Amino acid sequence: MNVNGAEHSFHVDSTDRLIDVLRERMGLKSVKEGCGTGDCGICAVLVEGKLVNSCLMLAAQCDGRRVVTLEGLLDDPVMKRFQGSFVANNAAQCGFCTPAMLLAAWDLAKHSSNPSTGEIKTAISGILCRCTGYYPILDSIREGCRKEARP
Amino acid sequence: MTEQVSEFLESIEEKAEKGRLLYIGENVARVDSLEKVLGKPVYTADLVPRGTAYAKLFHSSIPHGVIRGMELAAAKAHPGVLGVLTWRDIPGVNESSCILPDRQLFAKSEVRSTGDIIGAVVAETWPAAADAAASIKVEYESLPAVFDPLEALKPDAIKLHPNGNVAKQMRIRKGDVEKGFSQSDLVLEKTYRTQFQDAAPLEPEMGMAIPSGDGGVTVIGSMQSPHHTQAAVAKVLNLPLGKVRVIQAVTGGAFGPKSDETPFDVCSTASLAAVKYGKPVFCSLDREDSMIMHTKRHPFIIRHKTGVTSDGLLLADEARLVSDTGAYASLGVLVIMRATFHCTGAYEVPSVKADSYLVYTDNTYAGSLRGFGGPQAIFAIESQIEELAHKLGIDPLEFRLKNMLVPGKRNATGALMDDSCGLPQCLEKVVASSNYWEKNSRYKAQTGTVRRGLGISLLMHGNSLGPEGNDYGAVHIEIEKDGTISFGTGLTEYGTGAVSGMMQVASSVLGVPLSRFKMERPDTSKHRESGPTVASRVVVIGGNAALLAAGKLRSRLDAVAAEMLKVSGASLAIVDGIAFDRRNPSTSVSWEALVAESYRRGIKMDEDGFYMAPPAPWDPETGQGTPYLQYTWGALVAEVEVDTETGWYRVLGVHTAYDVGRAVNPGGVLGQIYGGTVQGIGYATMEELVQKEGFVINPNLGDYYIPTSMDIPPEFKAYIVEVPGPLGPFGAKIIAEPPIVLPAPAIRNAVLNATGVSVDDLPVTSEKVLMGAKQKQTQPSL
Ligand code: FES
Ligand code: FES
Repeated sequence: MNVNGAEHSFHVDSTDRLIDVLRERMGLKSVKEGCGTGDCGICAVLVEGKLVNSCLMLAAQCDGRRVVTLEGLLDDPVMKRFQGSFVANNAAQCGFCTPAMLLAAWDLAKHSSNPSTGEIKTAISGILCRCTGYYPILDSIREGCRKEARP
Repeated sequence: MTEQVSEFLESIEEKAEKGRLLYIGENVARVDSLEKVLGKPVYTADLVPRGTAYAKLFHSSIPHGVIRGMELAAAKAHPGVLGVLTWRDIPGVNESSCILPDRQLFAKSEVRSTGDIIGAVVAETWPAAADAAASIKVEYESLPAVFDPLEALKPDAIKLHPNGNVAKQMRIRKGDVEKGFSQSDLVLEKTYRTQFQDAAPLEPEMGMAIPSGDGGVTVIGSMQSPHHTQAAVAKVLNLPLGKVRVIQAVTGGAFGPKSDETPFDVCSTASLAAVKYGKPVFCSLDREDSMIMHTKRHPFIIRHKTGVTSDGLLLADEARLVSDTGAYASLGVLVIMRATFHCTGAYEVPSVKADSYLVYTDNTYAGSLRGFGGPQAIFAIESQIEELAHKLGIDPLEFRLKNMLVPGKRNATGALMDDSCGLPQCLEKVVASSNYWEKNSRYKAQTGTVRRGLGISLLMHGNSLGPEGNDYGAVHIEIEKDGTISFGTGLTEYGTGAVSGMMQVASSVLGVPLSRFKMERPDTSKHRESGPTVASRVVVIGGNAALLAAGKLRSRLDAVAAEMLKVSGASLAIVDGIAFDRRNPSTSVSWEALVAESYRRGIKMDEDGFYMAPPAPWDPETGQGTPYLQYTWGALVAEVEVDTETGWYRVLGVHTAYDVGRAVNPGGVLGQIYGGTVQGIGYATMEELVQKEGFVINPNLGDYYIPTSMDIPPEFKAYIVEVPGPLGPFGAKIIAEPPIVLPAPAIRNAVLNATGVSVDDLPVTSEKVLMGAKQKQTQPSL
C-alpha cells in the first residue's frame, strides 16, 4: 500500500487492523485509538481520499491503495493553515482528537473554500471531541478554509 | 493571599507596562499546542517501546459474591502468555484506594461490583492477553446485592463494608429551619435525582512500567496526579518511594477519573508485571473496561423542603442528599462535602439544615468528575427555585434577583460575601444577551404545539480544595544557558491549558514571553509533590507558586541587568525579554546577554516556588465557616424549543457568563467555558451510564451518547466577568469545573417554562418530557 506517498509492502494477517499496522509497524502515532469500535472517529485516516475509521478497516483491505495520515501532510500548505488556526483558536486542548479533526478539515477544504457552519459540523460529525465543545474547532476550520480561498 | 505573595505582586504591579501586566490577560498560544497539531508521539500508548508486554485486566462477572475458585490454566497455557497476576502476586499491600482503604487492587475473596478487578493476564501481544483473559473462569458464590442507595440505607440492608453502608456523612446547621418553616407562607417539598455520568476522556486510562536496575520501576502514564500514583504503586509493590518514578505523559483528557483510583490500577498492574517478568509492561483499558472500571459521576437523590414568604423571600431549607458511590468510596468522600456545601446554591437562605450520606451499593463505583458534586447540588436547588417561583407566581428571574447572593449576604455555611462576588454582573450579562424580558413575555403568550422557553441557573463554586485537603503547589523554574526557561511542577496538564496559565504568570513576572518557555513533563523524581491536580486549582494555587519562583529569579536578574545597564533598579524594565532603562530605552541588554552574564557571575539560575493556601476553617458539626477562600460565580440562560406532541426538543441557545476574577488567558478561559458547557449539555440531555442490577449496559461510545458537533446549540454566547478574588494570582479564580454545572438546571427549567412539564430526574430526555406532558393532560385540574 501507499502510505503518505511512499510505497510499502509487507505481509499482514487477515485480521490485522489498519490502525495497528499504521501505528505499530509504520510508527505513525498521530493515528489515535479511542474506542476500537467505530464510535469515536479519532482513528480517522484518508484512504483513497476518503475519511475512514482505521480501527474498523483491515490492513488487507488497503492493498494497493493510498493511505494518508497527518504525518503525510505536515508540509502541505493547506494543512499548515489549519494547524495555525487550531493553535490560534485553542482548538487543540488535550489534542487527542486533533489529528482526526485536522484530516477532516483538510478533506473539507478540498471541496469547499467557504463552508457553512452546517457543512463544517457535518464534516466533523463523526469525530468526537470531549474537550473543546467544538466551537473553537468550527472557528478554526472556517478560518483555515477561508484562507484557502484567498490568492 | 499570603504576605509573601502580595509583596511580590506589588513589585510586579510597579513594573507593569501601560497600566497592565505583561502577558496576563493576553490570548497567548499554549506551549503544548504545537506537538498536538503536529501529531507528535507524546501520549502513553505512543511511547511503548518494542518488546513491551501487555497486561489486560479482567473483572468480576457478578455484582456481589465470594470467589470460590479460579481456572487459570488455560490462560497460562495460551501462546504468548507470560502469566496471570492475582492478589497472590502482590508483595505489598493489596490496596488501590485514595482516601478510605476500602478497595483492593485485585479482589481476594469478596467482590462487590462487576467493576472489581480480579487480576491481569500478561502476554507478549495485546490480542494474546485479551484472548487468554477471556478464557479465565472464576467460580463465585453469589451474595444478595443492593443497587439502590435508599435501600442500602435501611437498617436491615445487607452490609457491604465492615462499617456499614454509609461511607461518609456530612451536615449543615444554620439558624432554625423549624422556625423558618412556621413563618413561611409556602413550604414546598420535592425530590430530584441525577444519573451516573461517564467522563469519557477520549484517551482511556493507561500506564507503562519499565523495570529499573535497582528493583524499582519507572512508570509513564495518563493521569492527573503522578505523586499519588507513585504512592499507590509503591504500596502495592512494597517499594520505597525512591524506587518508584512516575512521569505523566501527555494526557488525552481526564475530567476527574484520572485523579481517582483507575490510574493506580493500571500503573500498579504494569509495575507488578514489569518487576515480575523483568521487561516493560503496558497496561491499558479499552473503552469498555474503562467505562466499567473507572469512576463515574455520583447519582444523587436530593430532597429539598423549602419555606418562602408570599412575596418571595427564602426563609428556610431542609435538604437531604443521598449519593450512590457504588462499591467503593474513592473521592466520593470529598464529592459529598462539596455537594453539601453547595446545596443551597447561589442563594441566601437564613436557615439551612442539610444532611448528606455517601452510600455504598453493588453498582460499579463513582468518584471524581468535573464539578465534583456541584452539578448535582445545583441541579436540585435551581430546579427547586424554579418550582417555588412558579408556585408563587413570581417571575423566576425576579425571584432569583430577590434571593441571590450579593456582597453583604451569607451563604449556607455562613460565609459573608464580600466585594469579590461577581454574581450580579454575570446575571446582568446573560439577561441582556438572551433578551430575557422581551422573549419571556412573548413566550408566555405562545399557543400551538411547538413552544419555546427560557431557563436560568446561577452558580456559586468554591475555589480549589478548601476543606478537601492541604492546598499547596510547587514550581521549579530554571533558566538554561541559552535563555530557555524550563518550567516544572508536580501539577499536571491534561488538556485544560492550566499549566500554560501558570507559566503565563511566571512569564509576566520575568518579563519574558511564553514562547521562550519549555514545559517539563511532571516527574516525581524531579518535581515536588503539589497535591492533586483537581478542583481547577492549578492557575490559582500553582499560579501563586509560579509567582514566587519567578519573583526570586527576577530580583536576581534585575540586579545583574542594573549593573550591566548602569541604572538604578527603579527605572529598570524587562519587556519581551529585553532589559532596558526606562528613562533611556535605547540602552538595552538582550535576554541572551543577561542570562550569559548571570551565568558568568555564578548566579543561581533556578528557583523553587512553594505556595500553601491558608486553612479554610469550618465546623464539621454545623458546617459553618469558610470552607472556601473564594468563589467563582456564573449565570446561564438556556433557550429551548419543544414539540409538545412528541416531546422532542432542542437547545437553541446558551448565554453564559462567569466571574473568573482575572482571566489570565481569556482564550483559555473561553475554551474551558465552551468545553464544559457542552459536556454539561450532554449531562443535561443525553448522557446516562445505565447500570442494571449492577451491570453497566452501555459501556461504549455507541450506546453512551456524548455530544457531537451536531448536538451543540446554534447560538452560544459566553462572557467573562472579572471581579478579583483574594486568593489567586492577580485575583484569578478557577474556571475549568464551573461551566459543566449550569446547563442541566437551565435546560430543565427552560423545558418547564416552555411546556409546564417538570422533569425532576436527569437527563431531560424527550421521553420524559412527553410522559410529563401526557400526565399533565390526564390530571384533573384542581
Ligand atoms: S478508535 Fe476508531 S472509531 Fe474510535
Ligand atoms: S481536544 Fe481533547 S478530545 Fe478534542
